[in-house]
Amino acid sequence: MIAQIGLSILLAGIVVYAWTEYARAPAIGFVSMLVAAAGLYFVWLPEHATWLAELVGIGRGVDLILYVWVVISLLVMLNLHLKLRSQMELITALAREVAIANARSPATTK
Amino acid sequence: MRAEPPNSIWLVIAAYNEAAVIGVVLADLIGCGHSVVVVDDGSIDATASIAGSAGAIVVPHPINLGQGAALQTGIEFALRRGADCIVTFDADGQHRAGDVAALIEALMKNDADFALGSRFLGASVAMPFSRRLLLKTAAWFTRVTTGLRVTDTHNGLRAMTRRGASEIALRQNRMAHASELLHEIARSGLRYVEVPVTIEYSKYSLAKGQRLADSLKILVDLSAQRLHR
Repeated sequence: MIAQIGLSILLAGIVVYAWTEYARAPAIGFVSMLVAAAGLYFVWLPEHATWLAELVGIGRGVDLILYVWVVISLLVMLNLHLKLRSQMELITALAREVAIANARSPATTK
Repeated sequence: MRAEPPNSIWLVIAAYNEAAVIGVVLADLIGCGHSVVVVDDGSIDATASIAGSAGAIVVPHPINLGQGAALQTGIEFALRRGADCIVTFDADGQHRAGDVAALIEALMKNDADFALGSRFLGASVAMPFSRRLLLKTAAWFTRVTTGLRVTDTHNGLRAMTRRGASEIALRQNRMAHASELLHEIARSGLRYVEVPVTIEYSKYSLAKGQRLADSLKILVDLSAQRLHR
């Protein structure tokens, strides 16, 4: 029961995080939200997880959840990567303005 | 229909640690009577001072951002200075100054907004086979993904009108900008024309050029861009 509550809180946190990211990266936000919501469901109904795991050819429900967890982590990592790219675009815009403001005409460079 | 010849032509050169060749490249270009802007992309050598002494306007990036970012900076600078026509030119000496006039001529004659240099329509001096294969593959990939009928996708020598340049917003700071530029052209729906130009391969320019591993990175960069705003 304790593990279930702990996991639920974590997964709920991810659902909220994915929701806030949805506006910026819709594809990633949506998939993370879906996966985290599924995780939330299976934590409380592990027998359904076992049923689904057997259906898709994975031994136990716990393993399925573990795999799902790995997928979520990878998505979060990809999202961080995209965030870094967005940040780079901001830095570029800033550096561009600095560069243009500091343009040196040929005479003054000598 | 033939458009009016542009009044104000700006040459944009992105340079990163090109002190060894930038002087010679500029010496050929300054004589043409166009305005020349060198975007110094955070070089740690004497690129900026050599370019300034050679008679170019120097726009210095405070940090190294990449060739795509430098070209966008140069284009933006030229537009703000009222350029009617912008020509991008590589700093490493592989282009011929004489080809610039042909590009501008092609813009006017075809009433186009982009004139793209092509080494496969023109001549290439001392191009290694591996480079030819890589460039042909890149061109094929771009034709498939953009629908543009181009023979050379990674040629740094291009001319664009003010209208064309205003449509271009390069977000790819590093090497993927060449493919991105073509996507932008396709998106703008403006007219483009390919012009034969000569590329001269030297040991220096080959060392600075793209390799196969870079093309994988370019693919990753291009796909990542589609995933976020």
